[in-house]
Amino acid sequence: MAIEKILKDDATEEKGERARMASFVGAIAITDLIKTTLGPKGMDKILQSTGRGHGITVTNDGATILKSLHIDNPAAKVLIDISKVQDDEVGDGTTSVVVLAGELLREAEKLVAAKIHPMTIISGYRMAAECARSALLQRVVDNKENAEKFKSDLMKIAMTTLSSKILSQDKEHFAQLAVDAVMRLKGSTNLEAIQIIKKPGGSLKDSFLDEGFILDKKIGLGQPKRIENAKILVANTAMDTDKVKIYGARVRVDSMSKVAEIEGAEKEKMREKVQKIIAHGINCFVNRQLIYNFPEELFADAGILAIEHADFDGIERLALVTGGEIASTFDNPESVKLGHCKVIEEIMIGEDKLIHFSGVEMGQACTIVLRGASHHVLDEAERSLHDALCVLSQTVNDTRVLLGGGWPEMIMAKEVDELARKTPGKKSHAIEAFSRALVAIPTIIADNAGLDSADLVAQLRAAHHKEGCNAGIDVISGSVGDMAELGISESFKVKQAVLLSATEAAEMILRVDEIITCAPRQREDRM
Amino acid sequence: MAAVSAAQPRASKTESYVDNKRKEDIRQSNINAARSVADAVRTSLGPKGMDKMISTANGEVIITNDGATILNKMEVLQPAAKMLVELSKSQDAAAGDGTTTVVVIAGAILKQCLSLLSHGIHPTVISDSLHKASTKAVDVLTAMAVPLELSDRESLIKSASTSLNSKVVSQYSTLLAPLAVDSVLSVVDPEKPDMVDLRDIKIVKKLGGTVDDTQLVKGLVFDKKASHAAGGPTRMENAKIAVIQFQISPPKTDIEQSIVVSDYTQMDRILKEERNYILGMIKKIKATGCNVLLIQKSILRDAVTDLSLHYLAKAKIMVIKDVERDDIEFITKTLNCLPIANIEHFRAEKLGHADLVEEVSLGDAKIVKVTGIKDMGRTTTVLVRGSNQLVIDEAERSLHDALCVVRCLVSKRFLIAGGGAPEIELSRQLGAWSKVLHGMEGYCVRSFAEALEVIPYTLAENAGLNPIAIVTELRNRHAQGEINAGINVRKGQITNILEENVVQPLLVSTSAISLATECVRMILKIDDIVNVR
Repeated sequence: MAIEKILKDDATEEKGERARMASFVGAIAITDLIKTTLGPKGMDKILQSTGRGHGITVTNDGATILKSLHIDNPAAKVLIDISKVQDDEVGDGTTSVVVLAGELLREAEKLVAAKIHPMTIISGYRMAAECARSALLQRVVDNKENAEKFKSDLMKIAMTTLSSKILSQDKEHFAQLAVDAVMRLKGSTNLEAIQIIKKPGGSLKDSFLDEGFILDKKIGLGQPKRIENAKILVANTAMDTDKVKIYGARVRVDSMSKVAEIEGAEKEKMREKVQKIIAHGINCFVNRQLIYNFPEELFADAGILAIEHADFDGIERLALVTGGEIASTFDNPESVKLGHCKVIEEIMIGEDKLIHFSGVEMGQACTIVLRGASHHVLDEAERSLHDALCVLSQTVNDTRVLLGGGWPEMIMAKEVDELARKTPGKKSHAIEAFSRALVAIPTIIADNAGLDSADLVAQLRAAHHKEGCNAGIDVISGSVGDMAELGISESFKVKQAVLLSATEAAEMILRVDEIITCAPRQREDRM
Repeated sequence: MAAVSAAQPRASKTESYVDNKRKEDIRQSNINAARSVADAVRTSLGPKGMDKMISTANGEVIITNDGATILNKMEVLQPAAKMLVELSKSQDAAAGDGTTTVVVIAGAILKQCLSLLSHGIHPTVISDSLHKASTKAVDVLTAMAVPLELSDRESLIKSASTSLNSKVVSQYSTLLAPLAVDSVLSVVDPEKPDMVDLRDIKIVKKLGGTVDDTQLVKGLVFDKKASHAAGGPTRMENAKIAVIQFQISPPKTDIEQSIVVSDYTQMDRILKEERNYILGMIKKIKATGCNVLLIQKSILRDAVTDLSLHYLAKAKIMVIKDVERDDIEFITKTLNCLPIANIEHFRAEKLGHADLVEEVSLGDAKIVKVTGIKDMGRTTTVLVRGSNQLVIDEAERSLHDALCVVRCLVSKRFLIAGGGAPEIELSRQLGAWSKVLHGMEGYCVRSFAEALEVIPYTLAENAGLNPIAIVTELRNRHAQGEINAGINVRKGQITNILEENVVQPLLVSTSAISLATECVRMILKIDDIVNVR
C-alpha cells in the first residue's frame, strides 16, 4: 500500500521522538551559547557581521546576541522570541530567561527518556511555576511608602543590573545617572524622554546627565548662538521653491526679463513662506529638511535661529519635550502649537558642537551624554544603560523588590522541592526537575566566575534550609554571602517575567511532536 | 553552523567546571591578532622611530609615522585587531597624539595577560585588577606632572616640538612648533579658555617650496586663483569683501523653462536683456562699494559666466569663485561678515573689510591671501608647503598632532616628562604597590607594571641602543629617586629629560594608559566570536 506523497518536494517532516530531539538540541545549543554571558563575571561575545564592511559588535546583552544570530532551528527561534519579548517588556533578564528555558528543556529531555509523557511534564512544570511564583510573592519587599528607602532600592537594582555589563567599574556613577533620569520621569515609562547621545573620546566616567535636550546639529550662519525664552516651531517642510509636480510642466517665455521675473517669483514664494513662518512669532525654527541659503539668510535677518536637516528621531523628540507639534503648513498661526524652552545655546562636547535646549516644557526630559574610548564601548554602554533604565522604570511602577545573586532561584527551588514531596504521581518528577533547572542559574553564575559551582551551590542550599536567610552567591569574594548586606537587588517584575515566560516557552517546545519544514519557495529561472 | 556544533559535548552540571577549550582558543587568537597589530606599529615609536610606506588599494602611496594613520589604512579583518585600530582612533580623538604609544602599551599588556591566563587566573579578575592599576597609574602620573601657565610660551613650544620630533618633519620642528603654539593660542576664546575648536585652524596645503616655507597667515588663504578670464584685478587694497551665495549669471528658474524665439530681432533683444540683467546685478554690487567677491560653488548653474566676469572686471571687482559651501562658515567667521544669498539683500553692512587682498604666486601655482582683516574672528590659517605631495600630507598630519598637543595643554594645563621617564616611574611605583596588594590582584598589577616598560624598551631599541642595558639603568636611576630620568635619544644615554626640554602634555599620557587598559579589558572579556547577518 504505497502512500501518496502528501507534502511537496523538498518539504521535510520530522516526527515524534526525532522532532522532540531536534527541538531539544536546538534549544540547548542556544542556551549553551549565551550562558557564559550570565552574571557579573559573564564574558562578552564578538558579533562579526558577514554583511558588508564586516562590522563588529562587542556585547554582553543576551537579546542583542540572539537577535543577530542565524538560526534555522524552530525551537531555537522560540527561545529568541522570548528573549525579544523580555527585552521589550522589562528590558533586562534577557539572558536569564533563555538560560532558564534551556535548563527546563534539558531536564525535560531526561524525563522524556525516562518514559514520562510530555503532558505530565507540562502539568508538573505548571504547578511548579505557580508555586515558585507564590514563593517569590511571599518574600518580596515593597518600599513604596518610604521614598528614601525606595530610592536606595532603585540604586541597588541599577547597580546589580549594571554589574554584569561593561559599565561595572563605574556602576555607581551610572546607577546614579540612571536613577536620576528615571526619577525625573515621575512614574511614566516613556523612555523616549530620556535621550542618549554617544560621543567618542574621554572615558566612561566623563558621562553625564543633562537636564534638557541636546540636538546634534549646527546653528545656521549669522544667526544668534544663544536664545532665551525661546519659542520653537518644529517643522517638516521643504524650504526650496514649490515645484509644480506634474511631469513635463514647463514655462514658455519670449524674453530674458520674463525668465528673471519667474525666478523672482520663485524667490518671492520662498520669502512668503519664510514670512509666514516668522509671523508665528517664533525665535527658533527647526526643520527636518534642508533650509537653503536664501531662507537661511532671511531667518538670520529676522534674528531667528534656524536649524536645518534635523533627523527624524530628533525632531519628534524635540517636539515631544518642548511641547510643540510638528507643522508642515503655515497658513494658520493660531492652530500651530509652538514649543517653548528657557535657553537655547551652543555647547561643546569633546570635539563637536551641539545645540542645547534647557528648561524645556516637559520637565521629565533629560539627556544622558555617554563618553567612551571607542564606538564599541559606547554602543555597549548604551545597551547596558538602556537595560538599567528599562528595569528602573518598571520598578517605579511595580515597586516590589527581591534580592539577587541566585537568592530568588534558591528560594523558589526550595519551595518547589517541598511541593514535589507533597505531590503524588509522576508529576512529582517533573516538579523536582523544575527545581533542578532553577538551581542551574546560580550554578552557571558560579561557573562563569570560575568558582567551584558544585561546592558553592551545595553550601547555598544548606544555608537556605534556614528560614529567612539572605544567602546568595557573592561572586567577588567567591563565597556564599548575605545579599541584603551586599546590596544586590532585583526587580520582582523582571524575575516574574523570567519565570513565567521561560516556563511557557519550555511548555510550548515540549508540546511539539512534529516539525514540518515547508519547501522553500522556488526562485524562478535565476540560474 | 557553529551554534549547533558547540552543543555536541552536552556537559552535565558537575562537569562544566572545566573551562571550555574552544573559549581558550578564541581568547588566545584574539590576543595574538591584537599583538601582531601592535608589533606592526612598534617600530615607528619615538624620535628615531621608522616610517611606514603604505600603498592603498587604489594605488595611492602614503608615507607616515602617525600610528593612527598607519592602522587606519591597514584594513585589518580580525575583530580583535580591529578593536586596536579603533583604540588608536579614540586616542586621536581624545588627545590627538600618542596614537602609536597607546597601541604599543595595549600590545604589551595583552602579552602579559597571556601569561596570566596560562596561570589559570580568571579573565574578569585580570580585568578588574587592570582597571585598578590604571586608575592608580593615572594618579601617579598626575602627581608627577608640572603645572603650566598658558603665558609660558617656551614650555608650550617644547612640548609641541617633542611631538614633532618623532615625525618625518622633525628637522623643521623649530619652525613648526612655535607655529602650532601661536595658532592655537590665537583661537582661544577668552570667554571659554578651556575650549579649543581645531576647526578654527585651517590648514591649506600647497605643493612647491619646502616645509621651511610653511607659514602662519593672519587672515585667509584660498587655494584658488582670482578669476583672470577677463583681466580682472588681482590685487585690491582696502578691500570690501562680500561672500555671496547667489550666482551672477543669466536667470534660471527651478521650473523647466524655454524661451521661444520666433524672429531674428527677438534674438537680439534677448541677448541685450541678458546683458542688462547681469549689468543690473553688478551695478547693485558696485553701489555698495564692494570690490572683492567670494562666490559659493553652485551645482545648479554656473556661478559666473564669461560675460559677468567681463563686467565685473570692468567694474574693478576682484572675483574668487567656487568657494565650497563647507568653508563659508569659516570664511564668514574670519571676515566677520555675513553671507549674502540674494542680490536684493546686498547691503554694505554685510561686507567684510580687509587691508589687502592679493593674488600671490608660489612657484607655478597661485593662491589668494586676505590680510589685515578688520575685527577678525578667532581663526587662523596655516599654509603648509612641501616639495612633494607625500611630504605635505605628512607635514599636515604632524602639524595636526602638534596642534592637538597644544590643545591638550590648553584644556588640561599640566606637563609631564617625556622620553620614557613617566612609564618607567609608573612601572616602579606600581611594582611597589603590587607588593602590598593581596592575592591575584597583586600578581596582575605587577604584570601591568612590567608591561609599561615596553615604552622605554622600544624607544631604546628603535634608537639602536641596547634596550636591556638602557632599561635596567633607567630602573636603577628611578630607584634612586631621579623621577625625571629618561632616555635621551640624541645623546644615546640617560639624562634628566626635563632639562633636555622633552616634555609632553599630561593628558596624552593619562589617556593613553586608560584607553589602552579599557581596550585590553574588553578583549579579555570576549570568549566567543559569533557570525551574524
